[in-house]
Order: sequence, then C-alpha cells, then structure tokens
Amino acid sequence: MTFYAFIFYVVAALIIATTALAITRRNLVHAVVYLIFSFLGSAMLFYLFGAPLLAALEVIIYAGAIMVLFLMIIMMVKVESPAERMYPLSQWLPAAGFGLIYLTVGALMVFATPGSEIPLEMALATPKEFALYVFRRHWLSIEVVSLLLLVALIGAFHLGKRKGGNEAEDEV
Amino acid sequence: MIVPFGHVLLLAGVLFLLGLFCAVARRNLIMMVLGVEIMLNAASIVFVAAALHWKQLEGQVFVLFILAVAATEVSVGLAMIVYAYRRTGSFDPGAYNLLQ
Amino acid sequence: MHTAWTQDATLLAAILATLLPFLAFVLIMVATRSWPRLSAGLSIAAVTVSLGCAVFLLEAHWNLEKPIQYTARWLVSGDINIPLGYLLDPTSLLMLTTVALISFLIQVYSLGYMAGDPGFSRYYAFLSLFVWAMMCLALAPNLFQLYIFWELVGLSSYFLIGFWYEKFSASQAGKKALVMTRVGDVSLLLGILLVLLHLGNLNILEIDSPEVAAHMSPNLLTLSALLIFGGIIGKSAQFPLLTWLPDAMEGPTPVSALLHSSTMVAAGVYLFERLFPFFLLSPVAMTVGLAIGAVSMLMAATMAMVSRDMKQILAYSTISQLGFMIMGLDAGSFFSGVFHLTTHAGFKALLFLCAGVFIHKYATNDIFELARQGGRSLKIPMTCTLIGAAALAGIPPLSGFFSKEAILAGLADLSNPVWLAAGLLGVFLTAYYAFRLIFILLFPRTAMALAGAAKVAISPKDRNPPWPPFEKGGNRPSSPFSYGATNTSPFPNGGTKNSPFSKGGPRGIFTVKSAEANAHGPGGPHSGHAAGQHRRVYWVMAWPLIILAGITVMLGFLQSPLETFLGHQYPAVALPEAAHIVWLPYLALILTIGGVGLAWAEFGRRDARQVGFVERIPVLYRLFTERWYLDHFYRLLVDRVIDRGIATLFFENDNKVIDGSIDGMCKGTVAMGRLLAFLNSAMIQYRLLATFAVLVLLSLYLFLKF
Repeated sequence: MTFYAFIFYVVAALIIATTALAITRRNLVHAVVYLIFSFLGSAMLFYLFGAPLLAALEVIIYAGAIMVLFLMIIMMVKVESPAERMYPLSQWLPAAGFGLIYLTVGALMVFATPGSEIPLEMALATPKEFALYVFRRHWLSIEVVSLLLLVALIGAFHLGKRKGGNEAEDEV
Repeated sequence: MIVPFGHVLLLAGVLFLLGLFCAVARRNLIMMVLGVEIMLNAASIVFVAAALHWKQLEGQVFVLFILAVAATEVSVGLAMIVYAYRRTGSFDPGAYNLLQ
Repeated sequence: MHTAWTQDATLLAAILATLLPFLAFVLIMVATRSWPRLSAGLSIAAVTVSLGCAVFLLEAHWNLEKPIQYTARWLVSGDINIPLGYLLDPTSLLMLTTVALISFLIQVYSLGYMAGDPGFSRYYAFLSLFVWAMMCLALAPNLFQLYIFWELVGLSSYFLIGFWYEKFSASQAGKKALVMTRVGDVSLLLGILLVLLHLGNLNILEIDSPEVAAHMSPNLLTLSALLIFGGIIGKSAQFPLLTWLPDAMEGPTPVSALLHSSTMVAAGVYLFERLFPFFLLSPVAMTVGLAIGAVSMLMAATMAMVSRDMKQILAYSTISQLGFMIMGLDAGSFFSGVFHLTTHAGFKALLFLCAGVFIHKYATNDIFELARQGGRSLKIPMTCTLIGAAALAGIPPLSGFFSKEAILAGLADLSNPVWLAAGLLGVFLTAYYAFRLIFILLFPRTAMALAGAAKVAISPKDRNPPWPPFEKGGNRPSSPFSYGATNTSPFPNGGTKNSPFSKGGPRGIFTVKSAEANAHGPGGPHSGHAAGQHRRVYWVMAWPLIILAGITVMLGFLQSPLETFLGHQYPAVALPEAAHIVWLPYLALILTIGGVGLAWAEFGRRDARQVGFVERIPVLYRLFTERWYLDHFYRLLVDRVIDRGIATLFFENDNKVIDGSIDGMCKGTVAMGRLLAFLNSAMIQYRLLATFAVLVLLSLYLFLKF
C-alpha cells in the first residue's frame, strides 16, 4: 500500500464518518458543520485525484457558499416547532432495506467488473490545462450554466421578496 | 498508484446511500436538501475518479457543472423553503400534504 | 321386432297386461276423480285384463326353453344401446302372474275396505300406477328400464303410504320410506353404471351370460355386485335399511298387503333372481348377502317377538322372511329363493288382509285389544289367519313348509355350518312369534288379569319407556302398560268434515291408534256402515281371503312342476345338486313344533300370563322394542354427522371460503388502491423512496440479466 493509498483510506474514513454524523444530528447547525468537514474531505480527495482546481472550487463554492447559505437560512428562520420526529419507522425501514440491497448489488457489480481492481494512476490536471480544455471544448455548456445561474438568481430574488399584503398574488 | 477504482466507487456508493437516508428518513425540509447535496457530492467524487481512471478530462468538467447546478438548486430550494415556512409554519414535510 | 304386434299373441298379451293399468291411472287422475265407483271399476277392469293376460302368458309358455325378448329402440348413443321392451322367461312370467293375481285380489278387497274414504279414486289411481310399474319392472329386459320402474314403484309406495296425508306421522312415514330406499337406489345406480361402463350395455341376458366375466375383472364384478346388492338392501328392507318398513304400516292395510309384503319389497329379491348368474360370479358378494340376510332375519324376528301391533308384527315378519329368501338365493339355490318368494307372497298377503278385516271392524291395531273385543268371533278371518300363520311357521302340508325346507336344504349345502344354524334359529323364532300372535288373538284375557300379570313382569324402572325423540309413525312400540289406556277418542267434536285427522302431530305414548285405526274409529269415514252394508263389505273382503288361503294350501304341492318350469331359467349355470340330508326336515319340524309349544306355554295355556320370555328380560325387551336402536342411530347420523357435520361444513365453506374469498378480493383491491394512492398523494419523502426503490430493483434486474 503506497502512501497515497493510505491517504485515500484515511480521507475516505473521514468523509464517511462526518457524513454519518451529519445526517444523525438533531441540531441543524451541528449537522451543517459536520457536513462542511465532509466537503473538506472531498476536496482533499479531489486533490488526490489530480483535480486541484476542482478541489479549490469545492471548498469555495460548496463548503464556503452553499453551506454558509444553509447556516444563514437556519439561523434566520427561527425553528420553534417541537423537535422533529427522528427516523419514523415507516420511512427509515424501507430506506435501510432498499439501501442494503443497493449496496450489495453495487458491491457485486463493482467486483464483477474486470477492470475495477486496476489501481488508479496518479495524474494531475493543472488549472491552466483544465481551463483551456473547458473553454475550448465545452464553452456552450458554460454559457448555459451561466444562464441557469441567472435564472436562479431571478427566482430566488422573486421568492424571497416579502410582499405588502396582497396574498392572492402569491404563487409558488 | 492509488487505490483500485472499485474502492472509490464503493466509497461513493456509501456516501450516496447516506445522502439518500438523510433525504428520506428525516422529517425536516432543510435536511432533505442537505441530503440532496450529499448525493451530488458523491456523484462528483465518482466523476473525478472516472476522469482519472480513463484519463479524460470530461469527468472534471462535469463536476464543474454539478457544482453550478448544486448552487442553483440550493438557492432556489432554500428560498422556497423559507416561503413555505412562512405559509404553513413548520418544516415537517408531513404538513405539506395538500393532496391528501 | 318388426312383426305386427297385433298378430303376435304373446306380445299383445304382454302389452295389454302392462299398459292397461297405466291407462287406468291416467284416466282416473285426469277424468274420473269425482266418480269413485267408476274409478274403482276402471282400475279393477284393467287389472283383471292384466291378470288374464298374465295367466295366458304363463300357460302358453309353460315349457319355455329360451327367453323371449321384445325390444324397441330407445336410447342409442354411440356404442351404447338401451332399448325398452319385455323379457319373458320363467322367472318373469311367474313374477308377473304373482303380481297380477295379488293386485287383483287386493283391489277387490279394497272395494270393501276403503269404501267411504274421501280419497277413494286417488287410491285406485295409485294402485293402478303401482301395478303398471311393478309389471314393467318384472318384464324389464335391461337394468335401466328396471331401474326406472324400480323408482316408480318406490314413488307409488310413497303415495300410498302417505295416503292419509293429513296425519303427520303418515306423511313422515312415506317420506322416510322414500328417502331410505333412495339411499339404496344410489348404490344400485352406481352398480348399474359400473356394469354399463365395462360391459357397454345393460341387457340382462348379456349380464347373465358368461361373457360378462371376460369384460370385467373379478374385483369389479364383486364391487358392482355389492353395489347392486345395496339397492336390494334398500328396497327389500334388509339390515341396515330396515326401519322404513315398520313405519310404512301407516298406510292402508291393502297397501301393506300389496306393496310391503308380497310385491314391492319382493322386487329386491326379484332383481337378485334376475342377476343370479352375475352374483354367482362373485363369492364375496354371495357371502356378504348371506350375512346380511341372516342378520336381518334374526333381528326382525326378535323385533316381532315383542311387538303388540299386529301390522308391525307382520312387517317385521316380512323383513325376516325376505332375509331368509336372500339367504337361500345366496346359498346358490335359485329355485328355493323363487319358490319361497312366491309362497311368501301368498301367505303374507293373506295375513295382512286378515289383519285388515280385524282393524276395519275393531278400529285398533293392538292384538290384545283385538282379542279382548272378540276378534276370534270373526270366523273366516280367524281361520285364514291361522292358516297364514301356520304357513309362516312352516307347518306341513302348507306351502310355507315346502319352501322353507328348500331353503334349509340349500343352506345345508354350504361349507360353513353357521348359516344353517342361523336358518334353523330363524325357523324357531318365526314359529314362536307367529303363534304368539295366534294365541293372543285366540285366547283373550280379562282386563284385570292382564294388568296384574303385566305389573309383576316388568320392573319399576321400565314403567315409563323413554319418549322416542323422533317420529316413528303412529304405532309406538307399546308397553304392556298401555293396556286399558287405549280408549281415546280422537274426535272430541265428532265431526269428520274433510279431514278426520285434524289433530296431527305426535301421539301420546300410550295409544296405538294408527292412521287407519282412526279412519275406522268413531267419527272416521269408515265407521258409518249400515248393517246390510256391513255384510256386503264383509263378504267383499272375505272372498279374497278364501282364495288366498286356498292358494296357500295348494301351492306347496306344486313344487315339482314349478321346479321343472324354473329349471329352464339358467341352464348354463351349474346349480349345485342339493345333497339330501335326511334328518334336516325332521330337525326343522322339531324346531317349528318347539316354537309353537313355547308360544303355547307362554300365551296359549289357560293360566298363562301372556308375557313372552323376552319381555321378562328388560334389557332385551328394550333392545327389541327400540328396533335395536337403529332409528336412534339414524337420527344421530342425520343430526350430528350430516346436519352439524357435513352440512355445516359446506355452509361455512360457502360463507367463509367462497363468499369470503370474493369479499377478500374486493377488500384487497381497495387496499391496493389505497396503497397506490398513498404513494401518489402522501408525503414527498415517500415518493422519493419509491423512486429509489424502483431504481434499486431496476439495477438488480440489470445486474442479474448480465
């Protein structure tokens, strides 16, 4: 086992542990913070897999912007309602059941595929190479994504507007 | 030489499962969206590992898009959650059952 | 047959003999109901012509070597061909004559007996129906026609037993007779179907020929023989289906004389005679028949020993003698069975008709009552009863003696001596109960002496026999304590109106009045004869008695001519030569005289207490009067097994399983709908879960495919 493999397993353990903790917290803020750690781990993983730009973007956008947005909303909306019912059986049991089947099938599929034991080889995509590639080959998708962001912006803006008093005009 | 590709896939699978569990088994809208985020993250791990496995950069490009879409979706989703909370007063999805 | 039937005298005679009674039945039921004399005239004319034709046929074909068969095409289906027609051979001719003669005598007798009854025309219509059915049964060339007329005979029996239908117990008795014989008929039908399946048709001549053994394996032969024997058990009232016959005494006495002593119950034995070679092919069936005949004979004899009702004694005696006949036939001796059938028809009808005269005059069935009221003063009936009872007991030179000897000789041929012993015991018991009847009738006791005697004989525990929980007809098994309590008047208002039996329902324990006793009692329709009318009625009823008595006396001497006549019947069958055991007739005679002597000692002597030796043993007495608890057993069977067991099972199955499953399907559909609606309209997380589940299953499917 090489050093990188060792790093990979440690990071993988970290990701799984923190995610598991995140989904089982009753306190939403705790959950979000655990998730931030999980995303940091993911970023390390991306770096390990030779995508440093994506690692950086993950930290900046995912862990930095999206999770902060979550925290903002959580703290903005005062959750005074009684603590949520944790894991009702009718929801938890089917999820666990099907999840287990899914895991088993997935594992079997993975190990049945002949090419899955080949270890990954190290490679690195420098940001410059990466950017050149993106803007040369997939510039249209980037434009579409920016349009999408615009739409999201407008939508969020519209939804968040607090109207004066005419409830009839409100439509989701 | 890092790990076999299968191990990465397994990791992503477990992560996806955790995200699904969070989305389905918790009675809080915000946790639902969080679960979706976790699932998206798992998918992006797979994409990056695949890019490494087959030495194609498309995988990483797609992760870019996933990131953008995730941001979009979270913002709009959370805005809707806030709006819905103002209308019904709770985060419990059981309260949002207008069709029943 | 394509010969013009008007030119063939035999065919013409057969057609006339059988169809004229049917014509009479139809005419009476349709047209002449309101003219009783005309109906009676029609019926008697028809049966007279039938008798003439039967005698003609018997006389013309006295030396018949091969059977004559006339058939008309009826049922043809593929390979199966079942015709209608007539089969004339010695047995059928003999049976035809017997039926015709006894029907004729009884129809004449009924002119006197049933005079004044409101259902007079109906009575004669049913009698004609019976005559038609019985004759066509006797002449049937195949089992299917025989079965049809077998059922018709049962039907007319039902009509006639329940003739006074206003009385509840009479209609119950009719129903019981029909249902019990029907049980036997199911078995008969199964046997017939088995034969049809394997043989291809049901012609009696073919069944009696040796080639039937080529078509059916021995086990099948035994099975079908046993099934057909089941039908015989039902119709001839053998064990275990014997309790309908005593109850059938609710019908008018001429009906009992005709149907339930000489002809209808003899149809079972007649069927046996018809299929004698067929039964011979299966030794197991013969042994079973022997056993059942023996059991019935002895059982019925014991029941007759304790009965107080004259007609019931005679009914039990019929069962016993039929068992005896079946024993004779099953022993392999064809002639003895047929002979005893013929002689029994004669003297049993005689006995019943004499009983009818007594009942008509004194309006009670109870023998002690009849004796006390002066029964022995009626000379002709008393003499004929004596002759009949002597023939029944087997006293020479009456006909009963000869036929009994023939049967005992046949039984002696068997390797197992137990049958002969049973037969001899039966002879002893028969003599005993026959002469018990005679002595009680001849030597009446005064009221005080009998009451005192009875009190001493029976233990206190038996003073009140338990009320039977079921309907057993109007004639209760009587205890000696009913003496003196029989004078109930069933018509307190004295009116007859249309139905003299306005009080239906079960009678009290201590009366022995049957339906016909009521008919003849004060207020009944038969009671209002003027003196001159009485004399005419008496002589109309007496002439048949005299004729029958003459036949009883003479028939014994016709044994050898009849033997040669019937010897042509089954020449192919090797009948065993009766080994002449010299001491057998003497032994039988000694037993007969012993039985008579015992009866004399108990009933006939001057100071005899008139209580039989059986009546002194309460356990036996109870057993015999309750008909060996057979009726109890049947009631239990019907109540527990059939009603609560099988019927309830099917009812619950119908409700819970069949209806329940359909309801369950509906409920399931509704539940499924709710589930699907739940998936559609419930919380969003469930829908998410459903999506995930579908994806997992899809991945599983794809994985398994590759």
